[in-house]
Order: sequence, then structure tokens, then C-alpha cells
Amino acid sequence: MPETRPAASLQTPQENINVLVIDDEEGMREGMRRVLERRGFSVRTARDGETALRLLEEEPADVALVDLKMPGIDGFKVTEHITRRFAGRTVVVIVSALATVEAAVEVTQHGAFDFLVKPFTPDDLVQVANRAAQQWRLIRERERYLSELASERNMSHQMIASMHEGVVVLNIRREPVLMNPRAEHFLGTHFRDGITLPDLFPDLEIQAAIEAVVDSVGGRPETRVLQHAMGEGGASASTRTGAWEGMLSVSVSPLMLDGERGGAIVIITDVTESWKAEQDKNRFVSMVAHELKSPLSAIINYINVILTGMFDDNPAKVREMLERCKVRGEALLDLVRDLLYINSREVGKVERSIEDLDLKAAISSQLDFFKVQTEKRHIRASLDAPLAGYPVKADRGDLDRIFMNLISNGIKYNRERGSLAVRIADTGDAWEVTVSDTGIGMSEAELSRIFQEFYRVKSPKTSGIAGTGLGLATVKRVLGEYNGRITVHSKPDAGSAFSVVFPKG
Amino acid sequence: MARILIVDDDTDLIEGQKAFLEKNGYVIETALTVEEGLEKAKATAPDIIIADLMMEHYDSGFVFCKKVRELPGLGKVPILMQTAAPRKVGFTFEAGGAPGREWMKVDEVLTKPVPLEHLVGKIEQYLSGSTQNA
Repeated sequence: MPETRPAASLQTPQENINVLVIDDEEGMREGMRRVLERRGFSVRTARDGETALRLLEEEPADVALVDLKMPGIDGFKVTEHITRRFAGRTVVVIVSALATVEAAVEVTQHGAFDFLVKPFTPDDLVQVANRAAQQWRLIRERERYLSELASERNMSHQMIASMHEGVVVLNIRREPVLMNPRAEHFLGTHFRDGITLPDLFPDLEIQAAIEAVVDSVGGRPETRVLQHAMGEGGASASTRTGAWEGMLSVSVSPLMLDGERGGAIVIITDVTESWKAEQDKNRFVSMVAHELKSPLSAIINYINVILTGMFDDNPAKVREMLERCKVRGEALLDLVRDLLYINSREVGKVERSIEDLDLKAAISSQLDFFKVQTEKRHIRASLDAPLAGYPVKADRGDLDRIFMNLISNGIKYNRERGSLAVRIADTGDAWEVTVSDTGIGMSEAELSRIFQEFYRVKSPKTSGIAGTGLGLATVKRVLGEYNGRITVHSKPDAGSAFSVVFPKG
Repeated sequence: MARILIVDDDTDLIEGQKAFLEKNGYVIETALTVEEGLEKAKATAPDIIIADLMMEHYDSGFVFCKKVRELPGLGKVPILMQTAAPRKVGFTFEAGGAPGREWMKVDEVLTKPVPLEHLVGKIEQYLSGSTQNA
């Protein structure tokens, strides 16, 4: 007889339950099939244990109704096999004659879910089958829940492991209980059972912050954020070898479990870059403050001296001091102008407007602009640019700033009756502009620092020359934006030659 | 007549202070660099030194003070440091405190621009101190 599964009745609640009836009595088998199919169960039948096992291998059953007394492989063995092979998949109901109730109970204890005592009414059968089906659903639900839970846990675990930030979780006894690879990398230590807070954070300030968050009593414990230097010069340098180096931001948040304090979560972020930028900015601001105060001090000092009246009988001396006040005041104005330019550049307030420009025209106009100064110091200025045009793509303000600085330096640091030669050469894909002077020149040590912000060559020869210390730094920075570059050759007391390479436009 | 050495890389500041202090009867020597300052200190044996902090380097003044103290006869010369530097310039120093002054080997740290009367007052204070010790 072919064992087929009839189409389940749609009106019944048990349409998805797949039942295997195992009984050696054909009448009993078929009677059970009819009753169950009428209730919507999908039913297969097996005449003996061997057939049952084969059918189960083909497709596991949700509910198996197992007759205990069968020739060959009996109900005990079939139950044993099912509970071993299909644990959590098939719900077994033992069907047995009254005489073997004790045995049925025994089998139940060994994994069968329920038993049905012969003889039984169709209602008895349906009741047991429904209970078994219900049990099967519960088992499936629980399994699905567990597998979802497992995959969620797995997911959380992988998420934490994949995080760019270091994560350390501490329990209420301040013991580290979880640590992701990034945290191990930052802290230079591996997670192990029994690892302690000081093992991870030797820094006392961080320990204190973590303890404060974990131990906080009353109120809402708050997140604390600290910075922590690692490696060179850092607090942990001496205790760790091969540890990561840089600046960490350590944020400690309370870990709440069901509304109760459960420990702390420590998130570790690499803030080295922004920390360095901040350091640079602080240093820059300090330098600016100093550079603003120095000329003001000189000016106020002169004015104070004049105001004492001690030089009232020497108008020439007073005038000399006022002249210097003017020079220093103007230099101060230049400094503010340069600072504003740098700032506008930094914050991107000023959009560059790139135009087709001519280097020769830009340089000529700057030379004209400085004509008064060159003539005053009897400096011979020349421009050697034989071609008709030197096209570049640049912002006009940037180009002016570059050559204004170089030409102004070529005049300021030149000698009386010296020369200032500007030459434009073709290097293939770029123009090379060389601005040479016959001035005081620079030593190797001085040359190495002239592109630093606020560096100024300081010697008796330069002491009266006003400058902001920002000119060449700005030139270098602006050129960088055009993939250009600047180099310098210089000889003390002979002169300097600055070469700007600017891509052709 | 008391001799004063002013070491500062700002010619204008030097010029102003020199003009004022000379009118007050002091003999003024000036130097623009640490090196020049040390030479002048050695050559003129000043009664008091006024030195800038940030010259060629941000800590030139400290270097200068330390080296002056090593010169024969200048171990105890009063040094007034004047600076326009903010409190923090790459390192922290608490100029107002005694330990800071001890570490820097200077007697007094003044903030630029130093009021002229204040400058003269300080000079007189240290000059009288040194005459008492002598």
C-alpha cells in the first residue's frame, strides 16, 4: 500500500502537523488515520518498526503515535531511536494496551511525551494528538527563539568585535569580562580570565573614573570621558612593551542591566590625529599671542618713554621713536592680515576662484607695487621672462600672495644698491620662477626653519626688519594646494634665491 | 654708576628701554642674541641683567640665564626676565612662583611691556640688595 499524504483539510487547525502512525494492526492503523485526517492532520502509517524508521528517514514526523507491542523492532526501540535521532523534532506518543501501562510510563520517562491507552475513543485519540501537536509547536517555537537568540548574541559579539573603537566591559566588581580585539590592540594586552582593571589601565585617573562610574550610588551615574596618552611619554610606557602609541579618548559609561547598575562599558577611541591638531592649534595661538604682544610692547614702550617728557628737548629722538612705532604698527597690521588670510584658507571660507592667469603679468604687477621700496633702497629689480605668456590656472589672490611675499623678502633682506632678479624658466610641465637677491643670505641652520610658521631669522642684521614670520609658511602652504613647491638656495652675506615651481595651466 | 645689560631680540624694545634707563643715570649695554649677550656679560660684568625669554628659540632666555650663572663673577648677578610669551609655550612654567624662578635661575619674571617706573623700581630693589650683600 503506498504511503501517501493526503491533502490536509483547510478548515482544521492541525493542517501543518505531520503524523506517523505505527501499528501492526491494519484496522487500528487505518482507523487512526481516518480520525486524524478528519481533523486535518497529515497522516502516514507504518506497519512495523522497520517501515517506520525508513519513513522517518525519508521525512521526519512531527508527531509519532507508536504502538508498544509490535513484532520485530518494538515500540520501545522505535521510541528510543526517535528520541535519539530526532530529539526536539518529533513528539512521541505511546499507544499501548492497559496491561502495559507501567511500561508506557517507563517509556514516557525515556523521552515519550504522552501515552494513549487502548482501547480508546476517537475523541481520546484526537485529544492526545492535539496535545502532542501543541507540544510540537512549543518545541519549534522554543527552538526558533533559541536560534534567534543565539544568532543575536552572535551578531552582537561580531558587532563588538568589528568595532573600530576599543570596548571593555566590566562587571559590578570592576572585573573585566569582555574586551574586543581593538581594545586589546590599544591597551597592548590580551583578555584572560582573572585579568584586573589595573592590568588594563595602569593609569590611576582612569581607574578612579571607572570605579566612580561602577560604584556610583544614587542618582544616574554619568558617562566620563578622559584622554590618555599611550606609548612614548605616556603613562603606560614603562609597563608595556609593543603597546600602541598615541592619544586615546576613554569614555566610561554605566552598564545598566534591567535597570540596575551592572558595571561599566569603556569605549576607547583613537584621538591621536585630532589631539595633535589641537596641540598644533594651541601652539599656534600661543605663538600668535606672543607675536602680537611683542610689537605692541615695543610701541607702548616707546610711547611711554616719549610721555615721560625726558626727550622733549630732543625732537629728532622723539621723531625717530615715532617712526619706529609706525613701522612696528604697520607690521602688526600685516600680521593680522596674514592671520586672517591663513584663517580664511583653513576654514575654507574663501572659495578659490581659479582663472586662466599669466605668471609674467602677476609678477610684473607685484614688482610695480614695490617700486617705491626698491627705489628708496636703490635696488635694481629685473624680470627675465622672454616668452610672450606663461599661462597658469590659479586664484589671483593666491598668485599675488606668493610673489608679493618673495619680492618683499627680496627687498627687505637685500643690501642697499643690491639687485633683485626674477626669472621665469620652462621646466616642461611647469614654470620655475626664481627670485634672487644680493642680501644678507642665510646659514644652513636658518634655512632649515624658514618655512615654519613664526620663524624669523634673528640676528643683528635682521633686527630692524619688520616681518610677520608667516610669509614663507603661507607661500609654501598655498603652493601645496596647486601641487607646486618652493626651494631655496642661500649663502650668508651673498644672497638668497627662492625657486617656485608652478604647474602650467 | 650701575651697569645694566639688556638682552632682547627686539631692537625697538631695547632702544626704548635704553633711552629711558640712560636718562635715569644707568650705563646700558645691549645684545640681540644669546651669544652676544654672553660676550657682553663676560666683557662688562653688569650689575644687573634684563633678558628676554623668547629669542632665537622659545627658551633662549633660560639657556642664556643658565650660561650667565656659569660665568666667573656672575653666579649671583640679578637677572630680570621680561617676556611677551603667554604662560604656556610648549611647556608649562609658573613664572610667578618661587620654584619656577629657582628652576629658571632668574630673580624676577616681568611681563612685557614692563611699565617704566616698575622697571626702575625693580632695578633699584635688586641693586640695593646686592650692595647690602657686598
